[in-house]
Parts: sequence; C-alpha cells; structure tokens
Amino acid sequence: MPKIVQLTAYSGLAVVVGLSSAWYMVDKGSRLTTSHSGPWSVWYRAGNPDADPYTRAHFARQGRLPVTTTSALYYTANRDDEGDRLTADCDYTVEGRPLDAAWWSIAAYRSSGRLIPNKANRYAFSNRDIARGSDGRFRIVLSAEPRPGNWLPTVDSDLFQIMLRIYGPRSSRDASGERRIDAQLPRIKRINCP
Amino acid sequence: MKLSWYAIALSLLVAGIIHIIAVLGIPQIAPRNAWTRLTTLADANTLVVLPHPSPAHQSLPMMAPDMRYAICRYDLSRGPVRINTRIPDELWNIAFYDPSGTNFYTISGGDIKREKIEIIVSTQSNALLDDETNALIDSEDSLVVTSPENLGLVMIRAPLAGMSYADRTERALRRASCGRILPGAQVAR
Repeated sequence: MPKIVQLTAYSGLAVVVGLSSAWYMVDKGSRLTTSHSGPWSVWYRAGNPDADPYTRAHFARQGRLPVTTTSALYYTANRDDEGDRLTADCDYTVEGRPLDAAWWSIAAYRSSGRLIPNKANRYAFSNRDIARGSDGRFRIVLSAEPRPGNWLPTVDSDLFQIMLRIYGPRSSRDASGERRIDAQLPRIKRINCP
Repeated sequence: MKLSWYAIALSLLVAGIIHIIAVLGIPQIAPRNAWTRLTTLADANTLVVLPHPSPAHQSLPMMAPDMRYAICRYDLSRGPVRINTRIPDELWNIAFYDPSGTNFYTISGGDIKREKIEIIVSTQSNALLDDETNALIDSEDSLVVTSPENLGLVMIRAPLAGMSYADRTERALRRASCGRILPGAQVAR
C-alpha cells in the first residue's frame, strides 16, 4: 500500500479516536468526574476551584454556572430506573422521601436544557411547594396530560431530562465514604406507555 | 494491509495529544459559555436582575424556574467594587465566578445570619494598597472577597419558597446594588 494512504489512515484514526474520546468524556462524564446512583448522575467537582479539565469543559460547553458542590448539588437523569430514555410519550412518577437539605427542587427540561412550555405554567416542584403525604414522602407525575397532585407537564417535547438541584445539602458522607444523599434520591418509574 | 504496531502506537499517542488539546481548549473556544452569554446582558459593575427563567427566555441553559437571579459582572481594574443587598431569606446564595466559570467563593444566607450584607470585591493587589481599602478590612459590617483576577461575576440566587413569592423576591433583588467604590466614599454604615 502506498505510504501516503497509510499515513492518511493512521492520522484519520488518531483524529477520530482523540476527538471522540474527548467529546464523550466531556459530554457524558466518566468515573473520574461523575458519580451515578440509579438513573441520576452528578459531576462531583462542578464549579470547584480544583475542578479537573473535563468538568470545566463540560460546564463551559453547556454554558452553565454551577455553584460549588459544597453548597449545591445538581443531579440529572435522562433515563428511568429501568434505564430507558425519558420520553413525553410515556408517563412517569418521581417518588421519594424528603432530602436532607435546606432547599431542593425538581424540574423537567428538553434535551437542549430549555424548559418545556405548558399551559399550566408549571415547571418545577420544590420542598417548599410540593404536596406531600403525612410521612413526608412525595410523588410527582410527569405526563403530557393533566394529572391530580404534583403534575409536572412534559407537553410538546419528545425526549426530556429531569434535574434535581439540592441547595445546602446537610448530610455529608457515611462511614463508607458514600454521599448519604445519594441513597435518598427519588426513584423514577415509568407508569404507562402507549 | 500489513498492520504496523509501531504506526498504531504512534497514532494512539497522537490521539492522546489531540484528546488533551481538545479538552483543555474547550473552555477557551466554547462560543456560548456562561461568561459570553451574560456579558451581553449586563454592563460592568452594574447589578442586573435576570428575566425569570421560562420556556421563552432563559439567560443560561437549565436555570431553575423556581429561582430568581441577579448578576453583577465586575471589573476591578479601576478599584474595588461594592455589593449591597438585603438577605430576606436564608436560602439566598451569593456566588463569585472567574471568567472561566469557576465558583471561587460562595456565601449563603444561612451563613450570613444578618438581614443585610455589604461585600467588597478586590484583587490581591488593590486590596491593601490605599487608605480607603485599609479601612474596609477593619470594618465589621462588610465582607471582603479577594478575586483571583480583575474580571469576574457575582450571581445572587434567590430560591422561591413557592411561586407566590416570585414578585416580592424579584423586588428584593432589584433593591440590591453593585458598583465601583468612588474615592472618599464612606464604606461601612
């Protein structure tokens, strides 16, 4: 094979491997930068002055300004507990117990990070305005159709994501070094799907 | 085609270098990073209450719909900047960023335990140089924040205790101020 073809093939390989691995680790994260708990993932050095280059690149590319993780945690999920992609074609429940934090809020966004337009003007539920049971547990229903209780509309968007933001997280880590709040994260269940 | 292990190893090495350059370069070349998006919205050393996040308008992606935001983009090249605000709720959070988006300092309403706060932002070099700023350090009522560089951004986040609090929270944010400290100005009140 001519040298020039070989050279082109090998440089092409280098460019593709280099750029795609960079894109993947910046966009999706890796064990170095994110931790996962069920469908939820969190960039655990978001906003920190000692953040690694992947975390910096991730938030610069997204155009977000996260508060450092000692003051706020941002968990995102674009899949349900079964690992299926969240889509407005299906209905979901987000169920959990109160999180140990000064303020937390759950909101739904399009994949692009925009809020989902809806006639009810309802975009989020926080610990200050969510309806809860006597045991403090809450249940949000994500659906394109109005639902009783804590209804978060997913109208007019095919794929979507959920963000749980936690301000002033109080529980730090348990004996095993696990963030205790990870064990308190709500479950995301698909309840019906045409 | 005969595989050359040497060439493959060399391509992987080059791939690694491309990977590193791409990751390190993204914050510099990301065309829509938070700093670029916000600088068009606010003049330097002026407090701006951002429009409340809605499907039609979000200053940054994935903003909290049940939070209200104010920003002050500061430039310390001509001296320190002062921020004054009331803290009507312990949930309020004041976060300081450098232009790359690193949150180098944060204080929350719960930490402040006061109804209002005065924050002086200065750099290492202009913090202690003139008499005026020396006075700041002694002042018990103000908090001095050292910025790593001349340019930076303060974001005040006000989580809502419920949507019915939106108007009063926006009013409270509008009463906050941010501006350069003029020579001879009284600092602590």
